[in-house]
Amino acid sequence: MFRYLSKSILLLVFSVVFCVILYTLALWAVGQVFFPSQANGSLLMGPDGKPVGSRLIAQPFTKDEYFQPRPSAASYDASASSSSALAASNYALRDRVARTLGPIVAYRSGPKAGQPVAPDIEQWFQKDAFQGAPHIVAQWADMHNSLAQAWVTGDPTHTAYVDNWAKSHPKEVAQFTKDNPGISQPKASDLAVVFFKNFSAENAGKFPSSVTRTGKDGKPATTIEPVKEGSDIQSIFFDMWRQDHADADIQDVPGDLVTTSASGLDPHITLQNAEFQLDRVAPKWAADLKRDQAEVRKEIEQILQKNAFAPFDGLAGEKIINVLEVNLELRNKYGAP
Amino acid sequence: MMFTQTWLLPFVLLATATIAAFPLSRYLAWIMDGKYRPLPVMGWFEKRLDSGPQNWKQYIGSLLLFNTVLFVFGYLVLALQPFMPLNPDGKTMLFPSTIFNSVISFMTNTNLQHYSGDQHLSNFSQIFFCISNMYISAAIGLCALAAIIRALRSDKSLGNFFLDMWRVMIYMFVPFAFVFALIFLTQGSPMTFKTSHQVSTLEPAAMGTTDKGEAKQQNIVVGPVAALESIKMLGTNGGGFYGMNSAHPFENPTALSNFFNTLAMMIFPFGLVIMYGRMLGRMRHAYVIFIVMLALMAGTVVWSVYYDTLKPNPGLTAHAARTLEIPGEKTWDMKKSVTYAAIAGLPVDQHLGNLEGKEMRFGTSAGATFDALTTDVTCGAVNAEEDSLNPIAALSPMVGMWINSIFGGKGVGMINMLLYIIIGIFIAGMMVGRTPEYLGKKIEAREIKLAAIALLVHPFMILAPVALFAVTHWGVDAVSNPGAHGFSQILYQFSSASANNGSAFDGLGVTYGFYNATSPAPSAIAFDIATGLVMLFSRFLPIIAPIAMAAYLGAKKTSPVGLGTLRDDDATFGLFLVATILIIGALLFLPAAALGPIAEHLGPFPVGG
Repeated sequence: MFRYLSKSILLLVFSVVFCVILYTLALWAVGQVFFPSQANGSLLMGPDGKPVGSRLIAQPFTKDEYFQPRPSAASYDASASSSSALAASNYALRDRVARTLGPIVAYRSGPKAGQPVAPDIEQWFQKDAFQGAPHIVAQWADMHNSLAQAWVTGDPTHTAYVDNWAKSHPKEVAQFTKDNPGISQPKASDLAVVFFKNFSAENAGKFPSSVTRTGKDGKPATTIEPVKEGSDIQSIFFDMWRQDHADADIQDVPGDLVTTSASGLDPHITLQNAEFQLDRVAPKWAADLKRDQAEVRKEIEQILQKNAFAPFDGLAGEKIINVLEVNLELRNKYGAP
Repeated sequence: MMFTQTWLLPFVLLATATIAAFPLSRYLAWIMDGKYRPLPVMGWFEKRLDSGPQNWKQYIGSLLLFNTVLFVFGYLVLALQPFMPLNPDGKTMLFPSTIFNSVISFMTNTNLQHYSGDQHLSNFSQIFFCISNMYISAAIGLCALAAIIRALRSDKSLGNFFLDMWRVMIYMFVPFAFVFALIFLTQGSPMTFKTSHQVSTLEPAAMGTTDKGEAKQQNIVVGPVAALESIKMLGTNGGGFYGMNSAHPFENPTALSNFFNTLAMMIFPFGLVIMYGRMLGRMRHAYVIFIVMLALMAGTVVWSVYYDTLKPNPGLTAHAARTLEIPGEKTWDMKKSVTYAAIAGLPVDQHLGNLEGKEMRFGTSAGATFDALTTDVTCGAVNAEEDSLNPIAALSPMVGMWINSIFGGKGVGMINMLLYIIIGIFIAGMMVGRTPEYLGKKIEAREIKLAAIALLVHPFMILAPVALFAVTHWGVDAVSNPGAHGFSQILYQFSSASANNGSAFDGLGVTYGFYNATSPAPSAIAFDIATGLVMLFSRFLPIIAPIAMAAYLGAKKTSPVGLGTLRDDDATFGLFLVATILIIGALLFLPAAALGPIAEHLGPFPVGG
């Protein structure tokens, strides 16, 4: 027994020395000497010679002049990779995708072919009827309690808005505590559904959104106000609009544009996705540079084609581009947007 | 074109691993039979380790004792993380139950991770905890197989555990791991002792701004990734350096690295089956087993690719209106019909299949292929998010874990297959009314008892805790997806723990984090302890019982082959083996599958909200 214990410890020591220490040090030496770029994270240098990121790690872009990477469940945090882990059957997945789609999709055929769907969503929303019944916002909150709650808790200004509402609506709050005897001191998130139902009745065809105005002191101030148009309505209510307009023929959006990757850091998008975004990117650069749109588009198209590659030359997959590399090339060619 | 892009990759992977299995098995057998001559320097180490020939009790004793030492070592490394070097970010200690779970997880070759490597481990822990366990735990299963083979061929001794371990690690794993690590390194896996780079993004402040109004930087975690990656895959360990494992661009930077990443987890399990035949001198028998395994593997891969790559994500597509009859709320014989309205599809081009939780650089079917293979060979690494697979496609990785011997993990997969063979032969023998024999040795009550115990540990260790967690708040608080999928998450977690696999439906809330975590997952401690115990029992019982069984079998007289002998090297035997595996291995889990992935697949879509 004791003999086996000493052999066990010896085996552990030997294997740590050979398989862990020597093995790791040897690889480290080879990496640092022969493949220094890869071994240190494949960093890319920006226009000022400082690293702007890693070739292999997606980073966010908000400006329309740049191509955007796939949405990230990790918020592009390269120290906490993460997937959405949303099941196909989870409504949260469909909701997330629908919100991305609303503001960007366009009709494919019919009298409005090529035109964006968004204005029609707003018009439909202002009529305030879904599947023949009145009050879209009330129905939305009723069908999707957790989305209504997520709206309330998602932003401190939203929570404050609902808290204020609760103060000015003691009757509704009292009714809620009567219906839910378990909750004596309802928080803003508890009241989410009641709030939206009441809001919908008082503000037909409107949704609470943040509005930025110049205040009396000359500084911009953001408040929550009932609005009847804007990106909130286009995104949150696209799926409901779609259910009311099942026959509308809408252009498909590339799948990788609306789905999150497994790592949340996928540095690539499909060439198809890039071509789709080119409709946004090229006019924006042309306007910034005050140049002909067609010409700029042709130049950027060339950059895309030059950068596109496919897994195993197309034997295993379709063409993709590296978003950061392409955007870096745009930045170097056209300057800061 | 689409056909090639979908099917070429999985086909080439299976073909390459099959071809590689032959020369590899020759090498493995040569090493395990001690026919090589060590260099004088290496011979010195072997002499220090060799404690002489062992019988089966001594071999098992050494194996268990060594694992105890390994447990203590692993626990110390993780618990002392804050005091160890290579930790400039000052990572503190994980919660004790998470350490308990992780130490067992890595010691048992499972690599179920209730933490995220990039967030919770220092480079010291990655090297001295993960890499060391990845070498050692993979070798243990292989040694157990070697001992069983020696017992079955009635060798005088089962060999020496310590010497076997050394041979496997130094002569098999180190050279292969070094070469594969070099491949990953050239493709872009970092290999540094630094922990992170802070970079200012190309578009200033695209990451947002800090409270002081400065642009936030991107914090890019690096480390000795290439070194860990190769042994992670070759040892079918599967515990990622980063939280998202082989999907992370640093662990798996290109399509080429993904090919070798996938191949690495296949070659040893493939080679070991042929090695089994070589060492026993029963090549035809091994070929039959190999073909059975390959056929089952091809089945799981085709299933997964067909339903995930060639089908859209059903959460985004249109669904027709339907009326379902369900039992009434109060009495089960009262029927109640529920109508679900038609749902219009979202305008998303899904010709590349379900892209939620997939990376673009590996190839069209690479995610679905990897997901099936990783549970077949009990690796548990993932290059796509299993939680977001199309519901019915996720059945494929689950079946891989339930059968647990479609090549299976290092050595233990072949051991599990041996149990199916013994049980299968026993059933066949009963059917024809003849004393069953394996390799000319009579299978009697004691052997069957041992085989049945080893085989039934697995379903028991999955179904009992799943039942417990599914009806208590432990499970209910942890699931992140509504409906049937929530049940699938719990089912997957325990299947993965019991199969010593390590992949997961990542949405399940099982992470406690550091010991001073402010908002740990509510059920983290329950899952830490339950899966920890499941991994422990499901690892060691199915190693100990088969060694004992093989020793009893080997001690018996070999009866001559006669006309009535059931042949173990023809198509009949192969088909019989497949039937045994499907009936015993898969049917046990059919009710659970019906409640999880199958129920989710049948709809309605979507649920919750």
